Amino acid sequence: MHNKQRLVFGYLALIPAVIVFAVFIVYPVFNTFYLSFCSYRTQTIRQGARFIGFANYVQMFGDDKMWTALKFTVLFTVISVVLESVLGMLCALIMNRQGKTRGLVCAMILIPWCIPTVVSGLMWNYIFAESYGVLNYLLQVMGLSSQPVRWLTDSRYAFLSILISDVWKTVPYMSLLMLSALKTVDSSYLEAAQIDGANKVQSFFKISMPCMKPIIIVAVMFRTIQSFRIYDLIRVLTNGGPQGKTTSLTIYTITQYTTYGNMGYGAALAVLTFIISMIIAVCFQDGVKSKLEV
Amino acid sequence: MQAVQRKPARKIGGQIGLSLFTVLFVLMIVAPFVWLLLAAFKSGKELYSMPVQILPSSFSLQNFKDAFTVQPLTNYIVNSIVVAVVSTLLIIIIASLVSFALARTQIKGKRVVLLMLLSISLLPPVTILNPIYLMMSNLRMMNTTLGLALVLVAIELPTAAWYLMSFFQTIPDALEESAMIDGANVVTIFCRILMPLVAPGVFTVSIMTFIAVWNNYLFASVLNPSKKARTVTVALTMYAGETTTPWNTIAAAAIVACVPLVIMVLICQRRIVSGMVDGAVKG
Repeated sequence: MHNKQRLVFGYLALIPAVIVFAVFIVYPVFNTFYLSFCSYRTQTIRQGARFIGFANYVQMFGDDKMWTALKFTVLFTVISVVLESVLGMLCALIMNRQGKTRGLVCAMILIPWCIPTVVSGLMWNYIFAESYGVLNYLLQVMGLSSQPVRWLTDSRYAFLSILISDVWKTVPYMSLLMLSALKTVDSSYLEAAQIDGANKVQSFFKISMPCMKPIIIVAVMFRTIQSFRIYDLIRVLTNGGPQGKTTSLTIYTITQYTTYGNMGYGAALAVLTFIISMIIAVCFQDGVKSKLEV
Repeated sequence: MQAVQRKPARKIGGQIGLSLFTVLFVLMIVAPFVWLLLAAFKSGKELYSMPVQILPSSFSLQNFKDAFTVQPLTNYIVNSIVVAVVSTLLIIIIASLVSFALARTQIKGKRVVLLMLLSISLLPPVTILNPIYLMMSNLRMMNTTLGLALVLVAIELPTAAWYLMSFFQTIPDALEESAMIDGANVVTIFCRILMPLVAPGVFTVSIMTFIAVWNNYLFASVLNPSKKARTVTVALTMYAGETTTPWNTIAAAAIVACVPLVIMVLICQRRIVSGMVDGAVKG
């Protein structure tokens, strides 16, 4: 009796979430797929969407700007995720060895995590400023560069600037997740390895890493997905420039929507972003599986 | 003998190295933010002086006044608060129900629900952006706090549900069983027994959700572009003019936009850290 009542309540409890999901996620995704096969422009919105088959996709694969944006986004994702994971792990290993100051460090770590990306972008924009920025000033004082570096307007440095800002915002959070992963390692295994004569590097790669793998995979999976959709930071740092060299896929898609009003082509780009994100998720199969267990 | 002596020396060296690293790490994190804070007090001249002037000559609040008069910042803050509070409330209600169903009942199709949560969090927001924009303009919900809040409910729901699920799982079955023997029905058990027990978790998740909603830029900029409905994050990008960028006013406005978050985080630091960790480990 109670059990049946409980089951009914369990199913009813899912209804609000399912409604929200259907209206704001499922319908929009299908709509984007549909619009990607249409010619649909803001300027002629009254005429509605006209089905044109694969024309948007044909245009997309021949679009140099799309390839530039895709290359930039993939490169940025790979470099930032690898760098942030390694740095996060290094910081976690060191934090794991200290007792007293950990509380303070944790509090500080949460500052980059909690402030809006827009604020951290503006902050770095001010630091990277060419003529009055503090970074160029420091480089000059230390004698590392004679003339000001054009951090945000030189395409060689713009990538690095975005990377630095992203690292600042993400590494602290990453190190917190890695620290929690380190805590799951059973210390008796490590002691046993030490007795058997394993050195620290060996016991890290042979014992700690396999134990932490489930958590690390999930953390890195979400980081990769988030890094791939980078938008806010670039919007306030370089706005995609110079000469479109730091235009991410999301920035390019939104430019199609807002600047050109080309909703059909924008939808095709959005579908591309969707498909690549799903491919990333498939690459992290183990991470996906662990999220599907209660 | 030598070996015995060397060991403590190495240990002390390690200690110093560790402390040095900690100082460096904290400095790297804090310095940029402090630099922004200092800029909020500098005059226009001090901002662009060469060599760089580190401290402002006086800690006047002029820039903060400007931040509120150049743009209607109060209005933007109110908008952000309303959106964040409405979203957080709805998310907590919906996510608690979902986490209860997943963590404490024997319903079928749990994997489908989990797959649904996972796919929302893996979905790039740009994929749903345009249809949501069209939907909101057809429903005349553009530039409304409710419209934006509802969209953000869908976006932030999975994270909240995962965190809450780990809290629901920690409650021992015995508590519920004894209530059931006393004749309580499932709704009573949920409201009167389980919810109070997960209250600390709800508190942590509320703060984390509030921060996530407050910080959203993409949907806020597309759905609420009007001056009346704009949120703080979007407004921050509006201070820069065509030719000039008044960094002191921007810095002041940015600090104002961060203060509520930083205070919340510093007060509930421990809970947030353990909440994050639980979400990562058990979720």
